Amino acid sequence: MDANTVLAELEGNIATVGYGLAAIGPAIGVGIVVGKTIESVARQPELQGRLTVLMYIGIAFTEALAFIGIATYFIFV
Amino acid sequence: MTAADRPRTSAAPALRLSLIYGASLSVAIAVVGSVVGALVAELPGLLSGLIGAGMGFVFLAVTAGSILLADRVTKGDLLSPAYFGIVLGAWLLKFALFLALVFTLRDATFVEPTVLFVTLVIAVLGGLVVDLIAVSRARIPYVSDARPIAPQ
Repeated sequence: MDANTVLAELEGNIATVGYGLAAIGPAIGVGIVVGKTIESVARQPELQGRLTVLMYIGIAFTEALAFIGIATYFIFV
Repeated sequence: MTAADRPRTSAAPALRLSLIYGASLSVAIAVVGSVVGALVAELPGLLSGLIGAGMGFVFLAVTAGSILLADRVTKGDLLSPAYFGIVLGAWLLKFALFLALVFTLRDATFVEPTVLFVTLVIAVLGGLVVDLIAVSRARIPYVSDARPIAPQ
């Protein structure tokens, strides 16, 4: 087999992989935030108010990363 | 049961405050973004500044709005499946909408992609800062939402 043989070829835009990667982290992050909130409220229901606000901040920070990741479509390509 | 004595979580005022702060910030970003965008890329820049600020606010506000809605629907019961159905369902819907908008706006002729991206990032990061300020200013009691067990 010579050095120039093409074994496999991919077509399309590699940025598509980036959108997928941008979705993985925040999805796991939000899952952890929500799961831990459920755990905490189940343990201490009287703290629900504070935990809800903390969950909100956690979700906001986690999803911001995904927004910026997906919005890079505007400047890359 | 009237609306006044309906059990609500004590997080609602903080979330409402963050929505108000976020709306104020996005108006400021829309003004500055559209002016800078108009200077950089004329009409498409102006529109991109407005769209970016609007998108940044809507997508961060959906989180707070969905928690408030879930709170209202489930009457403050965070351990109800409907609560997380609404919060996470809104999250999923928001991302599908965001992806569709990004793919639509990318090829639109009336949009300057770089101005839109920069405005969007500033709106999202500014929104986070404003959320933190709103939450730290809100007075949330340590012990809240404790309900007496109803007699059998």
